[in-house]
Amino acid sequence: MKIVVITPSGELYNEEVDYVVISSKNNGDFAILNNHAPLISVIDVGYIKMVKENKVLFTVIINGTLEHQENVINVIAQEAHVGLNKDSAMQHLNDVRKERLEENRRRTQDFLKAERELKKNLKEAQASKR
Amino acid sequence: MQSMREIKTRINATEKTSQITNAMHMVSAAKLKKAERSIKAFRPLTRRLSRVLSRVLNNDHTLSHAMLESREIDKVCYIIVSSDRGLAGPYNNNIFKAFEKHIKQHHQSHDEFEIAALGLKAFQFAKRKGYTMIHDDVIQVRDDTQYLDFQSISDSFIKGYLSGKFDRIVVFYNQFINTLSQEVKQETLVPLELNPLLNQDDDDDGSYDALYIYEPGAKQVLQTLLPMYVVNLLFGSILEAKASEHASRMTAMQSATDNAKDLIKDLQLQYNRARQDSITTELTDIIGGAEALN
Repeated sequence: MKIVVITPSGELYNEEVDYVVISSKNNGDFAILNNHAPLISVIDVGYIKMVKENKVLFTVIINGTLEHQENVINVIAQEAHVGLNKDSAMQHLNDVRKERLEENRRRTQDFLKAERELKKNLKEAQASKR
Repeated sequence: MQSMREIKTRINATEKTSQITNAMHMVSAAKLKKAERSIKAFRPLTRRLSRVLSRVLNNDHTLSHAMLESREIDKVCYIIVSSDRGLAGPYNNNIFKAFEKHIKQHHQSHDEFEIAALGLKAFQFAKRKGYTMIHDDVIQVRDDTQYLDFQSISDSFIKGYLSGKFDRIVVFYNQFINTLSQEVKQETLVPLELNPLLNQDDDDDGSYDALYIYEPGAKQVLQTLLPMYVVNLLFGSILEAKASEHASRMTAMQSATDNAKDLIKDLQLQYNRARQDSITTELTDIIGGAEALN
């Protein structure tokens, strides 16, 4: 069976696998093997364990949905990361998210600070003109 | 006529400005390519998500959700997507003008709507006009936009709609048509139109009437899918707006560079005239002096 993982920045993963185990906070664990009936599910925070010939990969997912039909699993995720280990992959994803949010906050602060300075300078410049 | 030195200074200044505008033009061109790439990368997700949604809705026609039902409109939430920085030609002004026109036509007082301003320029615009905003902080629209940047604000839209704070969410953004033209577009995000959603299945394998198993249940799946779909629509328009911004800035900077070149040409002519003038004056002086000696 095939699994395709899609995120807002493009296709993340597209490979053949033997079976997958889906685990999420909202509805626990279940596995999809070959020739499973068509299925649609949602994942708030969780991971998909992908197994092929004893090799295991984990895709951690935040806010996603998956659809299985005719041995093709389509995973649509707002954010996802593939790793060898579910904890390290989750850790990585969380770190990236935290860093980005922190950077955004810093940028906003810098922006506001620059804006204030500009206002102050403009005021001063006009005062000297009069 | 201006003195030669004055003209020379102006030529130098204009040349420097044209160098800057030319550099900005090239930077925007590179960023535009990147923005176009991210739009392209984003498309498969939208397509697949709407396909899944359409399958869920087609599978069970009794399913309903607050986001699919239009209710009496009491308060509208307007999302304005603008840029953080200026020098992008008419990019921001076009949106603001279209928005004000819309407000004048559809609303009597400022209490009937709230604004969500994405980008610094829209934030300043809303503040200047005294509109009520649903957030206090500036939300930046970075050049390397990521889904995560808008997650908290999009969550507040969805929550606001579901709790009945707003009865409609409309987004204003610049649609990217090509490098030379962008068009202001307004789109209603929620409530969603049901019919186009039902017909979005573009697969021709006819398998979409397959009976699906829902995990945990059809209702819960829809409850997650619909907000996700709406947020994705919004993110799609932000990506479009970003590409439009770069395209608009690119065109503006190109014409600025062209104008600077014309200006330099005129100034050069003036400079040459002034120089010739001074030479002529000097010559007449010398000839006049020589004649006086004879």
